[in-house]
Amino acid sequence: MATETTLIDLGILFAAVGLAGLLANRINQSVIPFYIVIGMILSPYVLGRVDFPALLGDGAIPHGSELALVETDFIYVGAELGIVLLLFFLGLEFNLDRLIAAKKKIGTAGTWDLGINFGIGFALGWLLFGEFLAAFLTAGIVYISSSAIITKSLIDLGWIANDESNPMLGTLVYEDLFIAVYLAIASALVFGGGDVGEALGQIGIAVGFILGLLLLVYFGTAWFQRSLETDSHEFIVLRALGITVLVSGAALALGVSEAVAAFFVGMAFSSTDHVHDLENLLEPVRDTFAAVFFFWIGMITDPTLFYDVLWIIAAAVLFTTPTKLISGYIGGRVYDLDERRSLRVGLGMVTRGEFSLIIASLALAGAGTGLTEGVANDLYAFAVGYVLFMSILGTTLMQYSDRIEAAVVPVLESRSEPSPQPGDD
Amino acid sequence: MTIYESDLPGVGKKFEVELEGGERLVIVTHNTGKREVYKKADADADSEKLFEVSDRLARKVGTILEGAYFQPVQTDRVETMLSDNTFIEWYGVTEAAEIAGQTIGDARIRERVGISIIAVQRDDELITPPTPETVIEPGDTLVVVGDREDCTEFEKLLGDESGA
Repeated sequence: MATETTLIDLGILFAAVGLAGLLANRINQSVIPFYIVIGMILSPYVLGRVDFPALLGDGAIPHGSELALVETDFIYVGAELGIVLLLFFLGLEFNLDRLIAAKKKIGTAGTWDLGINFGIGFALGWLLFGEFLAAFLTAGIVYISSSAIITKSLIDLGWIANDESNPMLGTLVYEDLFIAVYLAIASALVFGGGDVGEALGQIGIAVGFILGLLLLVYFGTAWFQRSLETDSHEFIVLRALGITVLVSGAALALGVSEAVAAFFVGMAFSSTDHVHDLENLLEPVRDTFAAVFFFWIGMITDPTLFYDVLWIIAAAVLFTTPTKLISGYIGGRVYDLDERRSLRVGLGMVTRGEFSLIIASLALAGAGTGLTEGVANDLYAFAVGYVLFMSILGTTLMQYSDRIEAAVVPVLESRSEPSPQPGDD
Repeated sequence: MTIYESDLPGVGKKFEVELEGGERLVIVTHNTGKREVYKKADADADSEKLFEVSDRLARKVGTILEGAYFQPVQTDRVETMLSDNTFIEWYGVTEAAEIAGQTIGDARIRERVGISIIAVQRDDELITPPTPETVIEPGDTLVVVGDREDCTEFEKLLGDESGA
């Protein structure tokens, strides 16, 4: 890892991300795959391999390797900060009371989603890699839908006002809670040597840390409330970052997932009156560093590795697109929706995104400890390729849902009794 | 009238209001404060977005809908209620008014609309009480007494210039 980032490197990074976002917006696509691809293009693996002097016959133009952005400490930590803030927001918007209020429906829909997708992911991972930890990580990568992309698409398409938004958002809440626990276990396994027995110590520390955080969340609300009692925006932002990043950093130093720690800090703030302020003030900060995270994911990906894992990606796409369609459809039916809307729920849940990438970066971090180098690199390349494909496929399925509904709904309706009226709750 | 409320985790809250004729109004309140208003032709239909407003504007619109919103508008017309249905009103006379240039007697205002002119304000002078010979000129302000319907009638004579 190089250690130097010059200001111009960062300038190139943000300008590139800005342009990629512009392009994504123009063609109505999610920004995440575009951030990853632009990171890939500017990486040593793509730009770095272009020999401009030879191509253009002009020695004045530097070789691509001099122009490419390389992974530096600064970018790496920026990406980590992106992960922390993404999970912090997840915790911030996570409302335990809500979950408990709708627990029967969310629980049923979410459990179907978990059973079907995590199950097929695990089976797929086991078949492809032949080891427990790789299978466990594959399961997580294919199970977790993208909260960020799906929620944004819901709002953009106006589905948010329809009945299908309830099972979709409810299932996402279930997934988010599961992934917080999952990340804790997965990171303990990865750093603990991949063997459940050897990782017990790590898991013990992780569970202890999480219990400590839970107690903090439970008893510390008043303190969290007081910690941000100020009218100054500057102070709110700095204190919130101070608390969140400090706790996450401490977690990481103890070998616990920083993402999980950030999630619980967010949860602690979710029961204070500051939620609204925090969301408004920290959203741009989160989006800035999340963009760095996606760029970094692309930058450290060697696209030639896709070639080796192409059939793994193909298999995963082939198996895990229908599973989300089915589990989403079941989720819709749990919420008493009709055929058409239940199908929509399925179409909407196909998108995978940021959390699959967080699991991928975890796999990469575990290269040489819990996973062999080869498996870690394959898992990582697979996850990035898979997310690139699924994020674009998912948003496209949502955009063209009308046509898909027109084709599929009559078939579904002819095979089942008249459906009950959609209920409300 | 039923109102359905549901939570949208990570987004905000959703309210569905049943309107007459089976239509539904859907209001999505975002955590950011933004409100989006949608209409559904019926409970099963897809929502059509009507508009979105900021938090501040939404509150303002809400108070108007509630009938609680009142902001005095600058006009040259002041309204004072004498009893249940009798008002003293001030009206400006414009060039376009039908009665501009006529005397009060010729304009037969009392017979036609049933209000009495109790004073005419012209620049700095106040003609009170005006006689049937007093000429109503553009730019005058007339102080009149009458019930609500008659005042409304009189406004029409003035060419509806001075507000509703």
